[in-house]
Amino acid sequence: MKPRINPLGRDLLLALLFFALLLFLPPLLRGAFGRASVSYLSLGINALVLATLALSWDLLARTGQLSLAHAAFTGAGAYSTAILLRMADVPLWLGIPLGGVVAALLALALGSVTLRLYGIYFAIATLAFTEVLKTVVQELPTKIAGGAPGMNVTALFRPTLAPGMERWELAFVRNQGYFWVYAALLLVAVIISIFIQRSRLKSAFTAIRTNELVAGVMGVNPARLKLLAFVLSSFVAGTLGAVEAHRLGSVSPDGAFAVSTTVLALVTPIFGGLYTTVGPILGALVLAGLEETLKRTFADGYLIGYGIVLVASILFMPRGLVGLLSGIAKRLRRPGGGQEGGMSSARAMTDEPFTAPEETP
Amino acid sequence: MDLSLLPQALVSGVLAAGLYALVSVGLALAIGVIGIVNFAHGEFFMVGAFLAYQLFVSFGFDPLLSLLFVAPALFVIGAIIYLSSIRFVLKAPELNQMLLTFGVGIILQNLALLIWGGDPRTIARVPYRAIGYKIGNISIGLVPLGSFVISLILVAALYWMLARTPLGRGMRAVAQNRIGAGLVGLEVNRIYLIAFAMSALLAGMGGVMIAVIQSPTPTIGFGFTLKAFAIVVLAGLGNIRGITIAAIVVALSESLVATMVPNGDSLRNAVFFAIIFVALVARSRRAY
Repeated sequence: MKPRINPLGRDLLLALLFFALLLFLPPLLRGAFGRASVSYLSLGINALVLATLALSWDLLARTGQLSLAHAAFTGAGAYSTAILLRMADVPLWLGIPLGGVVAALLALALGSVTLRLYGIYFAIATLAFTEVLKTVVQELPTKIAGGAPGMNVTALFRPTLAPGMERWELAFVRNQGYFWVYAALLLVAVIISIFIQRSRLKSAFTAIRTNELVAGVMGVNPARLKLLAFVLSSFVAGTLGAVEAHRLGSVSPDGAFAVSTTVLALVTPIFGGLYTTVGPILGALVLAGLEETLKRTFADGYLIGYGIVLVASILFMPRGLVGLLSGIAKRLRRPGGGQEGGMSSARAMTDEPFTAPEETP
Repeated sequence: MDLSLLPQALVSGVLAAGLYALVSVGLALAIGVIGIVNFAHGEFFMVGAFLAYQLFVSFGFDPLLSLLFVAPALFVIGAIIYLSSIRFVLKAPELNQMLLTFGVGIILQNLALLIWGGDPRTIARVPYRAIGYKIGNISIGLVPLGSFVISLILVAALYWMLARTPLGRGMRAVAQNRIGAGLVGLEVNRIYLIAFAMSALLAGMGGVMIAVIQSPTPTIGFGFTLKAFAIVVLAGLGNIRGITIAAIVVALSESLVATMVPNGDSLRNAVFFAIIFVALVARSRRAY
């Protein structure tokens, strides 16, 4: 008999190793590339932001709730920390996680009224929620939230030029700080995701996604678990939004609640591979690189690349990059390509990215 | 609150309802007949507006003349999109369909951004844009009135087509039971194609009119997708007949909030989304 390895422990160990490597990446880049490492780090930051955004969206999608409200939660996080700072002078280390908490509370409220909405109806309602929230924030008194033009926010990292330090080194120190903060946030998201994937929650989420009624009969509490997924997902998204506000130095209704945030949040996991921990991260790595090129070529209309990726993924690659790679790996391992009987039923469940229950509006 | 503004608000609301009904009825057609919830619907509207703008700039076409060119163009664009993407997800889970149309919408919108840039465009130089009538203290612009009448004619034509023509009967049959319709010899795929292309055509016609009424940007489409959703959801998904009434309700509430509530103009959009949200949540409660 093979020695049994605890899969949860193994995954956590792998994740920690991966992030330990990330910790040393900035100094390594600096040693290898010097001045150019600043822009490599920016690219790295973009990838980390996208990965966190995507993974947090995927956490919710695992319960079959396809949200179009992700921008609402990053926006809520951004505005919470900005308003707390402005009105109560709350320090950033407290304001940023509080941004996540506010987003989670909002999710709790939105989640409880939309519990009975399935699929498409849920998606439309969450989209409507985002727009209402944006308008509400815009209409808040200018003294509190800055109205339509938004307001300035202090930066999280403000390194000062020490004697003998070059300008690019200053930018490097700043980027390194953000890189580490975002890596830590992604680690939080990854740990949440691993705990879900390696516990009974995974089966419960899959059951709710596949057929909520049956899940309920089998002793899963769909309402409670859907809310749990909603709260976890939006806490991560809200915290991310709060850090972004401090990195960009300003918040505005159009920027903080931009539809493009929601688009990125859902395209990335679909492209990378839904309902997995690795999929959204893998998708983010590829797409962040792609985005750099797209932005340079198209400027205004760069999102067109995401549209094409989304359409192509759904038409040709419904299980994402992860599905594609694991398919190739399987074929390599078994040259005959024959499937055992037991596999086919498991595959049937995962082949379609979404299995929506019968619609009842 | 100034009650003397009320009649004007009511008239403006009803006039706007025509255009809303036109756009929404196309969306309802796609949902009702094909069962596709099309997130790209508003982009057809936007494409119509920008085609009319381009025809005006390049050839000096009057928007009324453009209607005749934009209609077949949008029909073809709709058909191409159906054949190249929608067709393949007809049997896929509903959310795949939704995401696919979402992707198509992103592509169309950003394509327009690449071609025309992000600045607002308008057809301001048509001679009849400034003409208006006054009845008491209510003023009615010729352009909103004209768009109301044209929209009503188009919506009525669609209703007539659905009720009286063989194609319309086929569409209703497919909407009721796609397998049954196929069994009695209807070409279901052809009906889907025509219904989708027609839905794009109707939205595009609305777009031509908005190019005269407002100054559209390439991002206008998404807002109209949402407005159409508000109306379709209020009427009940797939219910084509209820669209007219739902459009009047939504347009009136928008117009009333914009004029009667202080600082209401910026709340305009929130009204739609609040209606969508409340309608969805209320419906979901009633179902249990």
